[in-house]
Amino acid sequence: MVYLDYAATSPLLPEVIKAMHEAEQKFFANASALHTPGHLAMNKIEETRSLLAKLINAEPSEIIFTSGASESNNTVIRTFEGHKIVTSPLEHHSIIESAKVLSGDKEPALYSYMLANNEIGEFLPIDKITKKVHKNGDFAHSDLTQILGKLTIDIKALDLDYATFSAHKIGGPVGVGALYVKNGVPFKPFIIGGNQEKKRRGTTYNTIGIIGFGAALKHTIDHETWKIYDTKIRVLRNKLARRILGEIPGSSLNTDLDNSLPNILNASFEAAEGESIQLYLDAEGIIVSTGSACASGDIKPSHVLMAKTGDAEVAHSSIRFSFGLNNTEKDVEKVMQVLPKIIDRLQKISTIERKQK
Amino acid sequence: MNEGQDWVYSDIVKEHFMHPRNFLFGSESQFDYDAVGIVGNPICGDQMKMYIKVEDNKIKDLRWKTYGCASAIASTSALSELAKGKTLDEAIKISAKDIDDYLGNLPKHKFHCSILGHQALADAVEKYRAQNPSTPRKHKNQ
Repeated sequence: MVYLDYAATSPLLPEVIKAMHEAEQKFFANASALHTPGHLAMNKIEETRSLLAKLINAEPSEIIFTSGASESNNTVIRTFEGHKIVTSPLEHHSIIESAKVLSGDKEPALYSYMLANNEIGEFLPIDKITKKVHKNGDFAHSDLTQILGKLTIDIKALDLDYATFSAHKIGGPVGVGALYVKNGVPFKPFIIGGNQEKKRRGTTYNTIGIIGFGAALKHTIDHETWKIYDTKIRVLRNKLARRILGEIPGSSLNTDLDNSLPNILNASFEAAEGESIQLYLDAEGIIVSTGSACASGDIKPSHVLMAKTGDAEVAHSSIRFSFGLNNTEKDVEKVMQVLPKIIDRLQKISTIERKQK
Repeated sequence: MNEGQDWVYSDIVKEHFMHPRNFLFGSESQFDYDAVGIVGNPICGDQMKMYIKVEDNKIKDLRWKTYGCASAIASTSALSELAKGKTLDEAIKISAKDIDDYLGNLPKHKFHCSILGHQALADAVEKYRAQNPSTPRKHKNQ
């Protein structure tokens, strides 16, 4: 299998599997309990907290563990319920949908802009945004789910009040995320009814998941993965982009290669529909995702591609290739052995006449 | 709905998607048809065209083109099998449900957006009848 859907989720790293397996036996106790096994479990949770704090240049007390990025995002938006909430059209649904329901006109406002988008990888100029936001006494949040491990993160330099993280994009388990909350900024807990996380999030600790997150963070730090993304992965991504443009008529890039995460490539294929491309690739053992509506069970195509291109056909015909640390040159080769044929076939049975020949 | 399967659609949908029947590969001039019907819009993600060859008031042969997802391709392919040899009156009675039954039921959210081919077929029959008020007229497309 050629897995190119790392931006959706990544396979568990071997050291994560090992750490979680051990934890199932050794650290099962309720981490809030005063007895020894509980205390030992809490120590492991604090290890993960310190690792994340170190990686993003924050204080451990500024990290709250959550069930994932969507909860982290929702928590920040809920903190500003009734306040003015400004987001970009490229945000994840967990920002856009909750802001739609909860925003009002009270001051101060919350500005939530991701540093890089998950579908096309494009960077947003959040440094300029946060500067303006803080001048006005407002607050800034950023969803850094796609950034962790891909770039170095200095939360102080980014000047953020809140930031969202997820474990499963860096080889950790699904169901674990974190929220950075700068000391002293407003905060309302999402889950009420427990003293966990200094009363900032109720519910018994997901110790095993958090330990898995810790192992993934340790891998990220030990291997300085952002350097691998910036070199090896960027080369692979750009190579695939060049070959697609050179070898597939009617192809175009939705990702700006000079202003995007190094691991994401979003391309559209004129007259060929995304879900069909995705499933023909799947039949060849190549795993990608699409912004086509058909694949999501929605009627509308990707809101991100619609915001970027304004062209539903481009969105319906889009494929996202997202690379991870395990990908190699051979994977690019395998894609290019089958993708041109798949696109040619779909274009030949398509009702749409290609404009570019 | 698809419990136990390793694919998002049923086996018969997969079979029609992987090996579609009666599609028109490449230019329209490859098939000598009497009328063509169209339905859908690429903006919505699905569009189908049905090309019919009529003889003795029956669909002697047909071809189709689709821009759309796997279930759109599979459902148009299934329709082409259902419609071949049918009289024009029978052909226009083929419903989305007939196609869905033939395919062993598509996921619910796919039913309305991807089963559209029968409308293209009905459109083709209507156009054929408009062009041939009494007897079928031979029309050679280049």
